[in-house]
Amino acid sequence: MTAVIELAALTKRYGATVGIQELDLRVEAGEVFGFLGPNGAGKTTTIRCLVGLLSPTAGTARVLGLDPIADHARLTPRIGYLPGELRLYGELTGAQHLELLGALQGTPTPRREELCQRLELTARDLRRPVAQYSHGMKQKLGLVQALQHDPEVVILDEPTEGLDPLVQETFFALVSETSEAGRTVFLSSHVLSEVQRACRRVAIVRAGRLVAVEAVAALREARARRVRLSFPDGHDHGLVPMEARWSPTWSGNELRLLIPPAELVAALRRLLELPVTDLAVEEAGLDEAFLAFYRQAEAEAAARHPQAPAWGAGLPANPVEHRR
Amino acid sequence: MSAPEPLRGGQAAPPAPPPDRPRLDARTVGRPVRARLALYWLALYRRRRMLLALALGMVAFETLIIVIIRTIPPEEMFAGSIRQPPSAFRAFSGSSGAVSLASYPGLLGAGLVHPFWIAMQLTVVGSFGAAAVAADVEAGTIELLMVRPVSRARLLAERTAALVSGSLVVTAAATVAVAAGVAATPRLHEMVSLRAVAAAGVLGLGLALCIAGPVLAVSAAGRHRGQVVGATIALGAGSFAINFIAQAWPTVSFLAYLSPFHYYTPADALVSGTVPLGSLAVLLAVFVAGVATAGWLLARRDLAP
Repeated sequence: MTAVIELAALTKRYGATVGIQELDLRVEAGEVFGFLGPNGAGKTTTIRCLVGLLSPTAGTARVLGLDPIADHARLTPRIGYLPGELRLYGELTGAQHLELLGALQGTPTPRREELCQRLELTARDLRRPVAQYSHGMKQKLGLVQALQHDPEVVILDEPTEGLDPLVQETFFALVSETSEAGRTVFLSSHVLSEVQRACRRVAIVRAGRLVAVEAVAALREARARRVRLSFPDGHDHGLVPMEARWSPTWSGNELRLLIPPAELVAALRRLLELPVTDLAVEEAGLDEAFLAFYRQAEAEAAARHPQAPAWGAGLPANPVEHRR
Repeated sequence: MSAPEPLRGGQAAPPAPPPDRPRLDARTVGRPVRARLALYWLALYRRRRMLLALALGMVAFETLIIVIIRTIPPEEMFAGSIRQPPSAFRAFSGSSGAVSLASYPGLLGAGLVHPFWIAMQLTVVGSFGAAAVAADVEAGTIELLMVRPVSRARLLAERTAALVSGSLVVTAAATVAVAAGVAATPRLHEMVSLRAVAAAGVLGLGLALCIAGPVLAVSAAGRHRGQVVGATIALGAGSFAINFIAQAWPTVSFLAYLSPFHYYTPADALVSGTVPLGSLAVLLAVFVAGVATAGWLLARRDLAP
């Protein structure tokens, strides 16, 4: 298949600070590709390199076979972009924004009215200055301006931020239709459920480095099992045979564990030798799978550079929001 | 790579349109956004009220100057004891020394070098200079503008044109007010022609652009509008101070050549009736050099908040 987006050892540094480090990535035509990572992981830096706002320190970025900076004039008419932090001119109305950005795009905007209707931006809304808009309304306007000219590649940075659940449904339908029409969607998010729903493949990035590129289905299969065990009153917690990597947490007499699939059966055999009063095993969410990738990457990094601090130093218990 | 199919609503049936359908007709859009020179019009549109206020302020100020001058009879003007004011006062008369402050052209020139006039011009230059690049970078709106087929050269060119237009409006307001006052006052008109007022106006625009050049370069490299406004004030006030010190202290008189105010001599233009082309060339050369530097800097920088 043809690569629509191709990053080769893409690196961006801001002085001594590393934004992204040697990112290699390939997104095929018609794909909805997720770009997942916690805040500050380098997602926005990568996207800004893709749209030509930032020039890479090293490596290359190609979109539709074009260099985002050198071929800016040829590339930009073919892409639609929603920034992560959408900033608008407060005194201009929504309609004026769409007119202005359409004029700058220099191409027809055949989908404008349809998108406004589907995202529930009414004529009255569009007549108001955007300074009076809520965050969600601004985001809707951002989606319309990104898609109104029917671009070949759509690059969306945190697109569902601030959208209410009903509008999110419309958004996912739009993404799906865009992909089915042969267009490519590059969707950055820190919300796992959003990526799980919209994307076929996902790149996981942390601290500016690519941790993994996986099919969402594979990520789901690889994820740990959440095990809940209840013990009788007075049971000594110290007698429970468990590993630190299972992330054990006690809540009264209930023990919660996250056990990798490969270790599950053996672990349960050992645990069930204890006086367990209740047991529940279920698939963990994608966020736990995400954590598993991080831990694996940390372990590999630690093995390569024993003196270097692990990536996960200070990693929060749940670095990625799992929004429902 | 084959081009994807055009998308017209997609495969999934869209939900029923809301009753208030968003027809983007003239009523919805309101004041139309001009497709041609969109960045130029945007900069002017967003500062239209400020520009109107500054133009009116200029008219009011120059009218006041004319009214004050009209109260001074010629015999009192030239019989006064300050026929030869200190040389440093040339900095306030807008003359290289040929025109005394104690004359009608000198007083009119003083109205065109007055701190109020300078402050008005610096406000325009600072505001439009910041709007060129830095304000959009700071606000984050640059991300929306520059992911379109808009070259950095086009951004700078349209924003520079907006700055020139803004300065032109404010300078024209001052010039028209002075011209109207001169035309309405026979004894002023005897000494100052309308052509001479126009020449002084052209020189005033030259001064504004001279300061605007380096300001645009700061904006092209900057991330905050405060940097640009600070640079504008520093350039305006600093160069005026340099000219003043050079006039007051002969040992450092050579410093005057470094100040745009040395080349801005509206009182001389009011007497001669012509634009001093050498001085205007210096002022415009600084503007052109500043814009060229801005283009060079803008082409090499990252454009992100």
